[in-house]
Amino acid sequence: MKALDGLDSAFEHRARLAIGVLLARHDEISFARFKQSLSLTDGNLGAQLRKLEDAGYLALRRDFVERKPVTWYRLTEAGRDALDSHLAALQAMIATATG
Amino acid sequence: MQQAEQLKQDLDYVVGAVRRHDRSAGVPSIYFMWAAIIAVGWALPDFAPQLAAPFWVLFGIGGGLVSIWLAARDTKHSGSVDQAHGRRHGLHWLVTGAAFLVCWLPVMRGAPIETAVGNFMLVAAISYALAGVHLERPLLWTGLLMLAAYVVLTMFAWPYTWTATGLLVAIALAWAGFSSQRSRSPVHPE
Repeated sequence: MKALDGLDSAFEHRARLAIGVLLARHDEISFARFKQSLSLTDGNLGAQLRKLEDAGYLALRRDFVERKPVTWYRLTEAGRDALDSHLAALQAMIATATG
Repeated sequence: MQQAEQLKQDLDYVVGAVRRHDRSAGVPSIYFMWAAIIAVGWALPDFAPQLAAPFWVLFGIGGGLVSIWLAARDTKHSGSVDQAHGRRHGLHWLVTGAAFLVCWLPVMRGAPIETAVGNFMLVAAISYALAGVHLERPLLWTGLLMLAAYVVLTMFAWPYTWTATGLLVAIALAWAGFSSQRSRSPVHPE
């Protein structure tokens, strides 16, 4: 199926897809906020974020809020393009399946 | 078929996460601050009209600046930065401020002061109601209250209309602040 060609393995896991979609809607999101929105454990969330970071799709910066360390994530240009392609492929796949 | 079901579950999960993340009912401290400013500021035309203009110049501009600071602080605490959303808020209230200034134009051209106060109430009502529609839902009720007050001000010459409206709006804003506080789940740092 042609639509499958556009699917990106980095976004095939639903948590990573959700991370991408959330970051496409907001400029930066903290680790704690992701944990709350996605209902994941620290370890699982950290692993999913690292996979996207290793793919070059996420950039992070560290900051302090009231003297507590906070890690902020944002989509890179490559991440945004990859997410767009992945979502377009998903839409095409759903359109094909539903006729 | 199994793949389609898996895909549906994955998309449901993503939609759920986005919806959970998007719940925004405003910043409670901003609601409480404006409740206090409005309660005092709207009583002034009834009790000390000569103080109303300087009060609003000082607390209108000061309150706006403090609101920006409180919103920026809240953004950091909430763990989500959305510059487009911030710009939308800024632009909305900037246009409101400009409209408040324009309300005084008829008075400067010799019209009675009542013209300006009626315009002022109408601009405030529309601005708050539209903020409730497009930005933060709890503001819709304060806007509608102001709209009702504008009708009362225009149709009847009731005494202390400004004070009563100010108190009602302050109560509505305080209620919005409390409901916003309740609906928030704190984001703990890592």
